[in-house]
Amino acid sequence: MKIAMWVNGVHRDLEVPPLKRLLDVLREDLGLIGAKEGCGEGECGACAVILDGRLVNSCLLPAYRAHGRVVRTIEGLGTPEHPDPVQSAFVAEGAVQCGYCIPGLVMASRALLDEEAAPSRPRIREALAGNLCRCTGYERVVRAVERAALSPARACGAEPSPNPAADLEASPGDEVVVHVPGSLRAACEALARGGVTVVGGATDLGVLMHEEIVAPRVVLDLSRVAELHGVRREGGALVIGAATPYADLLRDADVARDLPCLHAAVRSVGAPAIQSLGTLGGNLANGSPGADAVPPLLALGARLRLVSVAGEREVAADAFFTGYRATVRRDDELVAAIVVPLPAAGTRQSFRKAGTRRAQAIAKVNLAACARIEGGVLRGVRLAAGSVGPTVILLRRTMALLEGEPAADLDRLAEAAAAAASAEVAPIDDVRSTATYRRDVTGNLVKRFVASLCEMHTR
Amino acid sequence: MPAPSDRSQVGAPIPRLDAWGKVTGATRFLPDDPRPDAWLGAAVRSPLPHARLVSVAKTAAFPAAAVLLTAPDLPCANLVAMVREDLPLLAADEVRFATQPVALVAAPDRATLKAALAAVTVELEELPAVLDLDAALRGEGPVWGADNVVAEYRIDRGDPDAAFASAATVVEGTYVTGYQEHMYLEPQGVVATPRPDGGVEILGSLQCPYYIHNAMKRALGLDGDRVVVRQSPTGGAFGGKEDYPSILALQAAVLALRCGHPVAMIYERREDVACTTKRHPSRTRYRSAFDAEGRLLAVDVDLVLDAGAFTTLSPVVLSRGVLHVAGPYRIPHARIRGRTVATHTPPNGAFRGFGVPQAAFACERQMDRAARRLGLDPAELRRRNLVRDGDTFVFGQTLRPGMAAADLVLARVLERSGYAQRRREARAFNARGGALRRGVGVTLCLHGGGFTGDGEDRIKGRASVRLDPDGAVTLLVSSVEMGQGAATVLPQIAAEALGVPVARVRFHQPDTSAVPDSGPTVASRTTMVVGRILVDACRQLADKARAFAGDKCADPLAAAAHAGLSATAVYEPDPDIAWDQANHHGDAYQGWSWAAAVAEVEVDVDTMEVRPVKLTHVVEIGRAVNPVLCVGQVEGGTLQGLAWGHLEEMKLKDGRYLNDRMSTYIIPTSLDAPDFDVELAELPSPRGPFGAKGLGELPMNAGAPALAAAIEDALDLEVFEAPVTPEILLRRWREVRR
Ligand SMILES: Cc1cc2nc3c(=O)[nH]c(=O)nc-3n(C[C@H](O)[C@H](O)[C@H](O)COP(=O)(O)OP(=O)(O)OC[C@H]3O[C@@H](n4cnc5c(N)ncnc54)[C@H](O)[C@@H]3O)c2cc1C
Ligand code: FES
Ligand code: FES
Repeated sequence: MKIAMWVNGVHRDLEVPPLKRLLDVLREDLGLIGAKEGCGEGECGACAVILDGRLVNSCLLPAYRAHGRVVRTIEGLGTPEHPDPVQSAFVAEGAVQCGYCIPGLVMASRALLDEEAAPSRPRIREALAGNLCRCTGYERVVRAVERAALSPARACGAEPSPNPAADLEASPGDEVVVHVPGSLRAACEALARGGVTVVGGATDLGVLMHEEIVAPRVVLDLSRVAELHGVRREGGALVIGAATPYADLLRDADVARDLPCLHAAVRSVGAPAIQSLGTLGGNLANGSPGADAVPPLLALGARLRLVSVAGEREVAADAFFTGYRATVRRDDELVAAIVVPLPAAGTRQSFRKAGTRRAQAIAKVNLAACARIEGGVLRGVRLAAGSVGPTVILLRRTMALLEGEPAADLDRLAEAAAAAASAEVAPIDDVRSTATYRRDVTGNLVKRFVASLCEMHTR
Repeated sequence: MPAPSDRSQVGAPIPRLDAWGKVTGATRFLPDDPRPDAWLGAAVRSPLPHARLVSVAKTAAFPAAAVLLTAPDLPCANLVAMVREDLPLLAADEVRFATQPVALVAAPDRATLKAALAAVTVELEELPAVLDLDAALRGEGPVWGADNVVAEYRIDRGDPDAAFASAATVVEGTYVTGYQEHMYLEPQGVVATPRPDGGVEILGSLQCPYYIHNAMKRALGLDGDRVVVRQSPTGGAFGGKEDYPSILALQAAVLALRCGHPVAMIYERREDVACTTKRHPSRTRYRSAFDAEGRLLAVDVDLVLDAGAFTTLSPVVLSRGVLHVAGPYRIPHARIRGRTVATHTPPNGAFRGFGVPQAAFACERQMDRAARRLGLDPAELRRRNLVRDGDTFVFGQTLRPGMAAADLVLARVLERSGYAQRRREARAFNARGGALRRGVGVTLCLHGGGFTGDGEDRIKGRASVRLDPDGAVTLLVSSVEMGQGAATVLPQIAAEALGVPVARVRFHQPDTSAVPDSGPTVASRTTMVVGRILVDACRQLADKARAFAGDKCADPLAAAAHAGLSATAVYEPDPDIAWDQANHHGDAYQGWSWAAAVAEVEVDVDTMEVRPVKLTHVVEIGRAVNPVLCVGQVEGGTLQGLAWGHLEEMKLKDGRYLNDRMSTYIIPTSLDAPDFDVELAELPSPRGPFGAKGLGELPMNAGAPALAAAIEDALDLEVFEAPVTPEILLRRWREVRR
């Protein structure tokens, strides 16, 4: 496949297999070896580069996705003679040890400072959380970013602008066919032909391809389908395009204000480089019981709009999953949009994730919860939990137990709800945790949520 | 910290000399150079932990271009020389751990290699496997030798039984620690290139060029000149590239010799985690006797390490563990027994700390348990028992004046962290209830720098310096830069010894054809031991230059630049050192470094997620050659210790590691790291260059016990294990509350 991209300000025309990883294109075709492979599965960030202004892990990104885009790598950032302030600060603060993680960490720092000139310490830690460093303990790295924030970014000349509409040109030797349609109609038609792998952000697929579990022959990429992007108000609901990257959702004021539990869940997905690419459509369609953005959708009573050439239908988010990694979505359907009714006034929302660590973590248990107190009783109680069964589930029995109960004795109610929640989940032991832990923590999180409602009650 | 004058190179916080290459992406690690002529090599591995190897064969689909090597085809002795020579390069008739190589394959490209690997059939007859420590201790199998005991050490002092009988309080506890994966960011890799003279050259990501050199000479029967080992810039090692590269290099070498092409073996992450060595899991039974004032009278300790299926470095790891298990405390009577036993699991190996983190965890947990029983503050109990100058360790080493700094680091860390105040604040915070609990824990550790006892005398490390025509001096040592800063610190030491700016010193990339054997880059010995040899070499060179240029010359090195001068120094043993290796008795280490840490944590009692909030660490390291680099070592090592203490869990199933990916073996992110506050205390040691002692491993020891202590403080329950996972904590919290 012929692709064209701007790399470090230079226009590059390349002939590459469409699903070759951007990391390999940079290293093998362009000789840019600054980006490293530390894991090949999006975990370590050693391969991180900046794509159209956002940090991405180049090991997860298929080459065709860079077509028409602007890529910055460590080589384009600065030289010892003309360094970027981030580079100077890393040197000055002693933030470098073995150096293998450093190109990725420097790019992550640059991406942060480009967006936020004076980030706080917690923000810096959050922004770097997808870049694992085994040597430094991060202290000097954080200090380096604080130091770099004090100096203005080096003017790097006129940055080329991306040309997202640029058409892709297949080559005779291509083993994979790639469709990157600009409209939903065209996307549905491509899908209707069958044998197609849909790509949202490829953050799940990239891992599966690396493990050789999936080997797509025909790819339908949603990144340029206008109808599938963005958040808009439709009556009493927010309608979220299924292919909107998490990074856009996080910057959306309506989502932050009206759907704080979804906002919190999205913020907990992976780390910034994963959020730059990952989508709700992928999180849903992938069907993992540990998907973090899904419990809020169930708790908020969202409906999913599924679209195919045959038409459109809506299913409730909690009716979408039928079993472990199984959904009601037909092969010819796309998850097009997520319709989230605006919660009733006074609804308290919460999202909690007990993960394997504080970022870049798979949930051992997650819980999204919504409820309000109306006329002294609990109303609109919805609790959804992940990683406690084959699918994300609504804790229906616990919800029923709480709905309409007087809010007078929340502590007692919280105890009862905790016991009910622990009883209604069916978790397993696996490499990340135990069934007992998952059951107990589900109960604890439910209890904490219910007990916390009184803060609102007294207000 | 002494202020660096501009003349002084030692003590100057200069940026590391390799920093710019690393921050600009210019540094080329092993995978970064294209090698179109190189073939690719891989191992065929046993999926079973214990089996009779019936056959290894090619099917018809095996590509003609590829080569297959099994044990009978090996062009060399089937062994990888380490402490012993029990580890075969390829399993010959019995497989003793899952992932053990049974054959090697090389092919000109990736596709052919894949096809070749798919066309090898391995027939195994499964045998019962011994997978846990208790079975191994019962002598089941046996996996190794007659009784599975790969090594055993004892320390006996005084009359422990009488001391226990007279004790006011006896405290008992059993402490377990788990595997730890190094997870250096750059996976292991080597490239072997056959030489026209029948020898072979190795380029690789490694710590110990001469270990590999030796293993290659032993197995291939080659003389030293025909084996060349070079180090490529190394993306982290932490001990993981101490022993394993000998195996990988030999595999690549035999393939290269067979196919006649360079052979690259560069691991992907999954193979690296699945097959390379880990920190030894441990179990320590600890009994301590105290008098009425809380003074230690005696300890009785039984330390067991899981060696895995072969010897590798386990006896040495055990020896160090045994020598550190009584901690920095004054103990008149002791009975210490250490064993490392074999199981049908992948061999465990070197990891920063080398047995001490396991020992320190047990010792420090026991001190905290004792403090609870005695009703004393943990810091106070330590203060009452710590060793001071003139005290004698249980293994017979008496601390000479200026050697002990336990008191110093403990006092400093308590003050710097505001320990007493922070503990009171945590109590007040916890009294309010809610989901979060705070806790503050303290720990006191030590680490012996350099090889144990007379180890350095036996190694007789050498270092050379060469005066180049441009007036600069090149350092020729086999110590490698792996992130720890050797390529900056050694030049600083040499510059100081020569009286020149650091800019006039070069560090030669380790290469056995160009540098002498300074010993391996391990045991926190590079700065202290190799640095000192280097100082001797520099002084010789300076003398030669002065002799050449005359006494009045202001810059004799510049004047003698074209004279082709060089100098080599050999390790000078200290005549006062007395060490009895057979009885494990005497002056175990010449330079002790000391550390005290205070950890502050926040625990969410709903999920038992532990967040280290702040970590204050005071280390006494003789002289900080480069304070910025020292602080970086402390922070990085401490985080590895903290994470081993609660996050890093490696599970095994049927003798195989389950967590063999970065997404399942969890190392800390920037959000999992606390804010660090590090203080370097300096009591110059007469044994190290300009007073410097070892530092690399010391910080690894304090993280886990400090964290465990803080968790105990936060939750008011006891912690016996590393990692103490949220799953364990939640269970114990329930038990305590029931
Ligand atoms: C390092 C790392 C960390 C991660 N951390 C988290 C985490 O903390 N929490 C979490 O929940 N997930 C996590 N993930 C998983 C992943 O990022 C999310 O599931 C993400 O939402 C997937 O979205 P995507 O667009 O990238 O999916 P893709 O990989 O593009 O697709 C995933 C699946 O969905 C299908 N698909 C995608 N979009 C659509 C659509 N619109 N209609 C129909 N089918 C579609 C694809 O065909 C594929 O089967 C992590 C992944 C990585 C690599
Ligand atoms: S290589 Fe680790 S995230 Fe890409
Ligand atoms: S500097 Fe070595 S991994 Fe970060």
